[in-house]
Amino acid sequence: MRHSVIITPDHVIVDGNPLMHNEKGSVLLTELYRNHIGDYPKFFKMDTLSKLGFIASELLLNAEGNRSFEPREDRAVILFNRHASLQADTAYQATIQDPDNFFPSPAAFVYTLPNIVTGEIAIRNKYFGETSFIVIDDYDEKIIMENLKNAFQDPMTTSIIGGWVDCSDEEHFEAKIFLIEKEN
Amino acid sequence: MDELIYTLKQQIIEALNLEDMKPEDIDDNASLFGEGLGLDSIDALELIVMMEKNYGIKLKDPTQGKEIFKSVAVMADFIAKNRTK
Amino acid sequence: MIVCVAHNIISPLGVTSADNYAAVKSGRSALKRYDGLWGLPEPFVASLLDRDAYADDRQTIDEKIVIDSVSRALENTSVDVTSSRVLFIISTTKGNVFLLDKRANAFPQERVRLGMMAREVTRHFGNPNEPIVVSNACISGVCAQIEAMRYLESGAYDYVIVCGVDVQSAFIVSGFQSFKALSPDECKPFDANRQGLNLGDAAATIVFTKKDKVGDNEWVACRGAIRNDANHISGPSRTGEGSYRALKVALGDMEPEKLAFINAHGTATSYNDEMESIAIERAGLAGVPVNSLKGYYGHTMGAAGVLETIISMQAVDDHNILGTRGFDTLGVTHPLDVSNQNRATEKRAFIKLLSGFGGCNAALLMAKGGLR
Repeated sequence: MRHSVIITPDHVIVDGNPLMHNEKGSVLLTELYRNHIGDYPKFFKMDTLSKLGFIASELLLNAEGNRSFEPREDRAVILFNRHASLQADTAYQATIQDPDNFFPSPAAFVYTLPNIVTGEIAIRNKYFGETSFIVIDDYDEKIIMENLKNAFQDPMTTSIIGGWVDCSDEEHFEAKIFLIEKEN
Repeated sequence: MDELIYTLKQQIIEALNLEDMKPEDIDDNASLFGEGLGLDSIDALELIVMMEKNYGIKLKDPTQGKEIFKSVAVMADFIAKNRTK
Repeated sequence: MIVCVAHNIISPLGVTSADNYAAVKSGRSALKRYDGLWGLPEPFVASLLDRDAYADDRQTIDEKIVIDSVSRALENTSVDVTSSRVLFIISTTKGNVFLLDKRANAFPQERVRLGMMAREVTRHFGNPNEPIVVSNACISGVCAQIEAMRYLESGAYDYVIVCGVDVQSAFIVSGFQSFKALSPDECKPFDANRQGLNLGDAAATIVFTKKDKVGDNEWVACRGAIRNDANHISGPSRTGEGSYRALKVALGDMEPEKLAFINAHGTATSYNDEMESIAIERAGLAGVPVNSLKGYYGHTMGAAGVLETIISMQAVDDHNILGTRGFDTLGVTHPLDVSNQNRATEKRAFIKLLSGFGGCNAALLMAKGGLR
């Protein structure tokens, strides 16, 4: 693994080094956005899972360096979690739960799929490569690594942003992602 | 009408999660889509929901949105004429 | 080579692949208009299973139809489903999401978790492995097949059981209604007067294995690819970017003339069908017959990729290009060869194409007897 990022409500670690921050929980995600990204207002439309994955990928790609945003098809984005899009699902359900206040929200509905976070990363970076999302009920590094290794069977894939990006509600989340190159 | 326009701007900002914007930042006549605020297709659908929720206006045909959402001023005018709430 | 050993479809059109194919061939569908169902204020058209027939306090309808479909698929095979050399891959977009409705109290909330739903299935069969759940929007069914191919190629398993499932609910229908994506009538894929999609329930299973030698009549999953538009999270790309790239990789060096048809996503929304016509043209495949099965089943989401692959295999076995139910007049920019009539073919390969929210697209090349 060339680079790695860990984000929990309390900690941010990039390539093994703790990143300074003042906030915790959902506010931490906003702080990280403002301090390390700042030029992507679409961030505020995202659900918590997408915010988490987006920020984790930005820190990962900043660690890689040489960010060009040139379109490429050889990098895959394959993420895993336990809760799929539960936070977004709960938020959307609230817009339809009460028959007397029934206003289904398209902006909320679009995030009720866990793979949307992979789409957000692809859009930001102009990645035309493979994007995928897998759900397993417990974090299992062996399953994750086996699956990511298999992804290199695609003849064009030379690197993968892969790993665990999970969120059960706005204050409970965890990301552990890697940038993996084919030679590894 | 000025009050409606101001309120409408606040509602747009809230409905579309335009976090770093204030009503003062939105020009009455600036286009909401394309060049102006750069809103997209999901934003347009969300504004349709917002109009029903806050003003009781049901838009049967989403393509009407193109005309109504030209600018905040045009939108406020439409709302003033069609609101049921 | 990755070979299809067995398959099954459970849908409102029947509980075997054969019954489903016969229904589709004769032009039938279970699409109906529902007014006031699930307390929804707007009517919608869908192909739904009889929920009372699956009512149970131990398993949800998703779990039941997956178990039923897998059981039926395994019936005439010698697969030992309790072996650690057998892997389950479930494909679903929303699983048991209807459990989020506060009024649905029959099951513990944890069953909303897709992994828990999948474990219900593997537990039933006594399979020791952690199930893999692919949840990649509407392309999940093809993704799951590509995952199966990879796991088998790696040698880690002898059999992979892929089951795609989704069941409609107020959650899903209202969501698509908020997108104004649903047609008030039966859908019309690729048609000039298309107004959007219909939705459907289904479960569909394919069992795969790896073989060195393959018979003339065995179906081989040759190549699959997933690519992203990198454009917008819900709107299709105006250049059909991801779809075109996935098609290109899946096609590889296979001559287009060898394809019996492309079974497209063909959801009958204004944007999707237009986008697919662009992608198919860009890939140099405009001369290949194109069809869509959404007019028979509606959009079955997580099940679609698996179900539509099975129906397509059966069509080729039957020397048939299935007509696109609902189609009358072509309504996309690039001329595609679409018909609402069944047509004869002697060709032995097809491509299954899908697109989904999140900008993802998938293409899968299937060939009877393998690539020759």
